[in-house]
Formats: sequence, structure tokens, C-alpha cells
Amino acid sequence: MNRYALFLGCTTPTQVIQYELSSRWVCKHLGIELVDIDDFVCCGINQINLSQEAGLMLAAMNLAHAEAKELDILTLCAACTGALAEAVESLKDQETRDRVNRKLQTIGLKYNGRTKVKHISRVLYEDVGIDRIKIKIKRDLSKFRVAPHYGCHYLKPESAFEGFDDPDNPKTLHQLISATGAFPVQYETLNLCCGGKSFPISKEPAFYLVQKKLDNIMGKKIDCMVVQCQTCYLMYSDQQKVINGRFKKQYNVPVLLYPQLLGIALGGDPINDLGLNSNTVSLNSLLAKGEINKQL
Amino acid sequence: MKQDNSQSEPIRISKLDPKFKSEVMKHKDAQGLNACFACGTCTAGCPVHEIFPEYDPRKLAKMVKLGMRKEVLSIPYIWYCVTCHNCEQRCPQNVKFFNILNVLKNMAAKEGYAPSPWVEQTQQIMQTGIVFPKDEELAKKRESFFLPVLKSDCKKAKKLIELAGLDKIKAKKQS
Repeated sequence: MNRYALFLGCTTPTQVIQYELSSRWVCKHLGIELVDIDDFVCCGINQINLSQEAGLMLAAMNLAHAEAKELDILTLCAACTGALAEAVESLKDQETRDRVNRKLQTIGLKYNGRTKVKHISRVLYEDVGIDRIKIKIKRDLSKFRVAPHYGCHYLKPESAFEGFDDPDNPKTLHQLISATGAFPVQYETLNLCCGGKSFPISKEPAFYLVQKKLDNIMGKKIDCMVVQCQTCYLMYSDQQKVINGRFKKQYNVPVLLYPQLLGIALGGDPINDLGLNSNTVSLNSLLAKGEINKQL
Repeated sequence: MKQDNSQSEPIRISKLDPKFKSEVMKHKDAQGLNACFACGTCTAGCPVHEIFPEYDPRKLAKMVKLGMRKEVLSIPYIWYCVTCHNCEQRCPQNVKFFNILNVLKNMAAKEGYAPSPWVEQTQQIMQTGIVFPKDEELAKKRESFFLPVLKSDCKKAKKLIELAGLDKIKAKKQS
């Protein structure tokens, strides 16, 4: 049995609850035990903008809490993954760790450098494995043509991810999509960022980048896009609707979080287990194509 | 594509700050700056540069080297970085421009240029431990999905933020 401390982050448990719901369901179904830690706080990624030291300390606080429970961390958000994994890397340096620990000491914590951080997709890929996922598939999704989107912090900075996948030519999400029976479609702007991280400062980069990717994948006859980060989800799904209104566009690309796609394939209830009815772009036509008899 | 006119102003040597580069490079993460030979691979791979040519990692690196302190720290575009890490991922000299930019943003924040969304997020973390409020409506919504009550240790987070001096950073006044 694989046990992990579930790191929800800020946005998933408040704005994209279906990601949390489907992740918990998928993990339970595949034998990954998730432990909720009440003391976890924001990973600190946005605070790095104003103070790298503060960002590192918030990350270290979370790492210390997981370590105290002798658990590694399972993340859902790509940005939390990047921030925490980068902190693990920075804190391998004894001088940095001593400096951070002097501050953590004032709140009764210490980090010894033992916590590992893994994104849920990496856990599914490495701990469960493609072959074991395939055995559990109950629904036929072979008609789905899916555009994968990795999310920048899932694999970058490269130094923090032990060569788990190649950030310039990533394959793991493609394989995880294949494992569900769906077909992962390759496209030119695969590695293009969603723009979500500077969205609170300026909407323009995201509006441009989202359209660039949607224009690209709309020409590929895809049925949906699959993301593995709630910020990417919000950009491609919620902002897709905003862009349609603001720029008079007619994008209609359903966007799923990976555990939702996997959950469908594993036979999960589309609403109660996977929250598909919460997704902003309707998934009804997708479900109809997969001959899944459920109206969202 | 917008026109880039930002190169039209002449650089006045008397206005440069010769200590700026060493101040930036004092930070461990920014020490690679000297290795930059201005090939522009960072800029070529930057998605923000595509829409805002004024945001130019290669040019920023050069400006830091020249000592253009005020110009660099006051550029609003330094806050537009989408944090995709392409600049450092693709750099043939292994310069961590992403980290250099963070050093620059931290310096700009101390000098009064911090954008209000980041300051507000910090204040929110001190209250709830995350960047969003936790209200009754959220609690009901989570309950309807049979999800556990959302908790976080905001007191410890607040203490760390204060220890790092982040609570002292004020947002840039709107002009």
C-alpha cells in the first residue's frame, strides 16, 4: 500500500473541487492511501515573487510537517509540485537548510531533508504503473482523441525532478492517457504555458497563450483536452468561455483533469465520484461519444 | 504584435549604478549571470516576449550588467513572467535567468514596486494559510461533495512570513 500526505494547495480545494474529488476517488480505487494533514499551508510559489526566502520557508514548513508524519507528499497542482520539489533541492544544501531550520525552530518545526514530492500523475505512473492501470479499465474510451497538456511546473525546473520525464519532449501524460484506452494526440504547441501564473498581474499573456494552444488543437480533431493542474484547467476551461465572449471566438474544447479521464475509464460515477458536472465546458457530447449513459 | 520602442532612449553612463550587478549576483541563484554571452535563446523561447517584446530576458540581463538599476526595477513587465522556466531550461550557459528575475522582483518589491495582487495574497495567507478565504459558502460546498473540512496552520505561516519580512512589503501605489 502506498501512503502519501495529500497536498491540496490553495486553488484546488476552493475553486476546482472536482479535481480533488476525482483524485481522491482514483487513488482509493488504485490502492494509494492519502493522508490529510491539517497543518499544510500555501506552497509559497507566488510569495517567491516578493521574497524568495519567504517562499522557501513556507515550502520548508510543509515539507517538515510531512516529514514529521514520515510521509512523502502527493501534489495535485503542478505549481505546488515545482515549488515544493525545488525547495527539496535547495534544502539539500546544508547551509541553506540550517538557515531555514533556525527560522522553522521558532514555530517548533525542523526539516531534515527526507521528504519527497510527487505529482499525482507521477505517482500513478511510477507507483501504480501503466500496466496495472490498464488491467483495471472498465469503460472503452478508444473513441476519444485527447490533447495532453503537461503544465510547466510538472517537470521544471528540470534539476528538481530526477530525470523522471523529459521537459522538452515529455511522454508520461501521453502514456497515462493511452493507459485509459484514449488516444493522445501530438501537437506543435504541446509545451506552451497556460499563462496562469501571471494572470493576477495581467490577463493578456494568458489570453494570448490560451488562444494560441486552442487554435492549434482545434485543428487536430480532438474530443477533449486533458490537464494535470487546476490552474491550467482554469485557464483553458473557465477562461475559454471568457475569451469567447471578449474576443468573439467560438472555442468549444472540453477540458478534463487527468484523474477525471482515468476515473471515467475505471468505471467511476461521472457526477458523484468525478464531479464532471462541475467542469465549465460541457462534457455531455464527450460522454455520449463514449456511450456513457449519463446526462450531466 | 506590438512595436518595441524601448530602445530609443540613449543610455547615460553617469546614471548607471556600477554596484547593481554585484548586488544582484550576491544571491546564490543569480551567480551565473557573468556566463551570459547574450545569445538570446532565453528571449527566443519566452512566451511573454511573443506578445510583449518589451519583456526581453536577454536585454534585462544586459541591463543588469550595465547597472541600469532604476530602469530594470521599475519595468512593469518583469512581473508578467509566466514562470514557464523555458529561459533557464534552454540556456546554453546554464544561466538561471528565472532565478535572476526572482532576485530582481524581490529587489523591486523592497523598493516599492510590488504589484498589489501578490501583496494581497500574502495578507490572505496570514489569515487563512492559503491564498483564498475560507467562508461558510466554501464549507457548505465542500460538505456537499463529502470532502473534509479545509484546515491550515495560518498562525505558523504568519510567523514565517513575518520572520522573512514579507509582511513589510507594501503594494505599489496606483498612479
